[in-house]
Amino acid sequence: MKLKSTLGIIGTALLVTFFPHASGQELTGFEIMKRSDDAVRSTNDSSFNRMQLSSCKFGVTQSRITCAERARVKSLESVAKNYGPELKDTKSVTITLEPAAERGIGMLSFAYDDSERDNETWLYLSALGRVKRIAAGNSEEETEPASLFGSEFTTEDTDTGKLEEYTINLLGETTQAGRDVWQIEMIPNAERARKTRYSRTVHYIDKERFVALRSEMYDQYEREVKRLMASRVELVNDIWMARSLTMMNLVTNRLSNMAFVEIYTDLNIEDEFLTQRTLTDAAYRETELEKLRSQLN
Amino acid sequence: MLRFCQLVILVQLLLTKTYAQQEEPLILDDSVSFDAELAIDDDIFGNVFDEDTSSTTSSWFEDFTVRVSQQFFGQVNNHSVEPLPGFVFPREAEMENNRLGINIRYQNAFSPGWLLQASGQIRSYWKDDYEYEANGERIDMDYRVNELFLQRSFDQHSIKFGRQTVVWGETVGNSVLDVINHFEFRDLSIIDIEDARLNQWMVVWDYFGDSGQFSTFINLYPEFNPAPVRGSPFFFEPAFNITDYDRDDNPFFEIGTQYRLSFEGSDISFMAAYLVENQLRYEDPVTGIGDAVARKNDFVLLGFSANRAIGKLLLNFDFAYSHNVLADSFSFPGTSSLATPLDLKKNQVGTSFGFEYAVSNEQSVSLGIQAQKLLDEDEGLLPGQQLINDGVFGSWLVRYSNNLMNGDLVLSSTLQGGLDANSFFAMLDANYTISDNWAINAQIVSITANNSTPLLFFDEDVRLGATITYSF
Repeated sequence: MKLKSTLGIIGTALLVTFFPHASGQELTGFEIMKRSDDAVRSTNDSSFNRMQLSSCKFGVTQSRITCAERARVKSLESVAKNYGPELKDTKSVTITLEPAAERGIGMLSFAYDDSERDNETWLYLSALGRVKRIAAGNSEEETEPASLFGSEFTTEDTDTGKLEEYTINLLGETTQAGRDVWQIEMIPNAERARKTRYSRTVHYIDKERFVALRSEMYDQYEREVKRLMASRVELVNDIWMARSLTMMNLVTNRLSNMAFVEIYTDLNIEDEFLTQRTLTDAAYRETELEKLRSQLN
Repeated sequence: MLRFCQLVILVQLLLTKTYAQQEEPLILDDSVSFDAELAIDDDIFGNVFDEDTSSTTSSWFEDFTVRVSQQFFGQVNNHSVEPLPGFVFPREAEMENNRLGINIRYQNAFSPGWLLQASGQIRSYWKDDYEYEANGERIDMDYRVNELFLQRSFDQHSIKFGRQTVVWGETVGNSVLDVINHFEFRDLSIIDIEDARLNQWMVVWDYFGDSGQFSTFINLYPEFNPAPVRGSPFFFEPAFNITDYDRDDNPFFEIGTQYRLSFEGSDISFMAAYLVENQLRYEDPVTGIGDAVARKNDFVLLGFSANRAIGKLLLNFDFAYSHNVLADSFSFPGTSSLATPLDLKKNQVGTSFGFEYAVSNEQSVSLGIQAQKLLDEDEGLLPGQQLINDGVFGSWLVRYSNNLMNGDLVLSSTLQGGLDANSFFAMLDANYTISDNWAINAQIVSITANNSTPLLFFDEDVRLGATITYSF
């Protein structure tokens, strides 16, 4: 279940967004990714997301990618807020809305930036009748990447920071989906290599909006094993965001689309909402969620 | 059992083979269309962006969750048991459960701070189901309201009134503190306590303070574990009529409170309660004929529970001190004692402890051990008398689960037995999620018991079951 604990930050972690920068400024690959990381962290603070995660087996027909089966759909609502001196710790609550068999499952997660501190996760299932702490460990440091909600996205794909554990090369410039992009390669160092399933990744970053429009993940045999595609890039709260992300697993021929149906940041979220009460007290939770929604209007 | 294990191995081999066949990545060249507007047909994702979420009016039906399931379950091993030399009881293979179930759950936060929640179930028993046969070989139906409560939350308070569950304790599956609600292990397709817990009429007041949470309940109508249903595997013909407890002349209630604190890596709780044991004790009629005398067992419980997370390991600990419990209260769930019990009240200590360990992102294992002991157990006994629960008694429980195929296939096993090693349950379970609506489950349950326990009558039983479920 630790996979789900990162949901609070994936609302923005995958978006790889930037604030607009001064035109003509020369940036290195590291600088681009560093600014991306800072932007991701800032967009995660005090956020409310509603997302739909759709997965299916895919095929290629007439050079178009199509689902070969009816997509499996999960609908989730999450609230997150950053804490700590540098706002690098994140508390989040995630509620499953769909499918029906998982409706009402709630998860509270405290993710600490300090690798010495274990992340904390509590789960609420109506069958359990109580809040239960989950043995989660620190998903970034102790465990291998794992599927997120049964999708093709993994915890590694949602990871932020740790840029110093990569060699980052600016390969060049090209176009992607009709837009000018930088091509940036990230190669893990020896320490990071032990935790990752990718020997390298290549990102295609929109030069104007600083959004990753495409990412390619390669295995140790230099084969592309996964590809991430972004679309519906929109300006939300002065930040460019890709509201639709599709991860294709080229080994299993499955894909997952993560659609941010609603994404709002910089909200006034009470600290009390990010406690165990939100899991057990549905009347309180729904009331507070309504207050959050009212801030959006 | 062996055949099922072979099946599990076969499934795993097939999965391995499937992955092996797909180990070569698909080559996607740039001619494959996948541009910013998503070449994937948008409708396969439900046109999620097309709906105007801000103006969506919620349908009354969205507050309901419905699960429809058809279950087949039966004993498949032809054998016999011999509780006493010369008394041989045949145990023939037979269908036990053939039933359709509809579970409905409703949750509606109808106004700020208010919530109404209800859940219930309807069961229809088809041919060969034990309830069908107990009903004169006619299709039988029953229904039950599980949850039904109204909740009001304001400031740091929450009050719930209605049928609900209160669960105490940290240990998975067999906590000594999980004694507030009563249970019904109606048949052997239910061996997890989470599936057997029944709701009761209560008022629960929660106070969420800055330094911890107080949770207090008053049970206005304490209920008892239901007697075995006629025809079920647990049913036996009693020597006297089993009757409900006569509460008209003796109204009673339960009350308890828990204080819970959370620290980084740990949660702890303190509890105190006045309770009535969930299992009624039955005594022989005074005149020797007629109805058995149902007797309740009220006592005071003091408890403490704690957990500690260390990386992927979670340690659990519960402690219970019970004051003034009836020394002889039969503890096997769903059955009742007609032996001549001793009329002694004693104090009892109990503990349950164990761990949960996340082997990997997909696999987890847990162990729970429960042990209880009456204090001064020999005090008050006449020469030759012996308590039913003599010395340390309790149970152990091991669970293992493995998520495959991104969680679509969950293989799990449950092993449990008594500390006295007189009985042993083993269950293997496979749950496959076919789609967002459909799921199928298969399970095998095996029991081993010796003649020191009433479970002897289930010795060498092997049960196979399958359930198909549709949720919406």
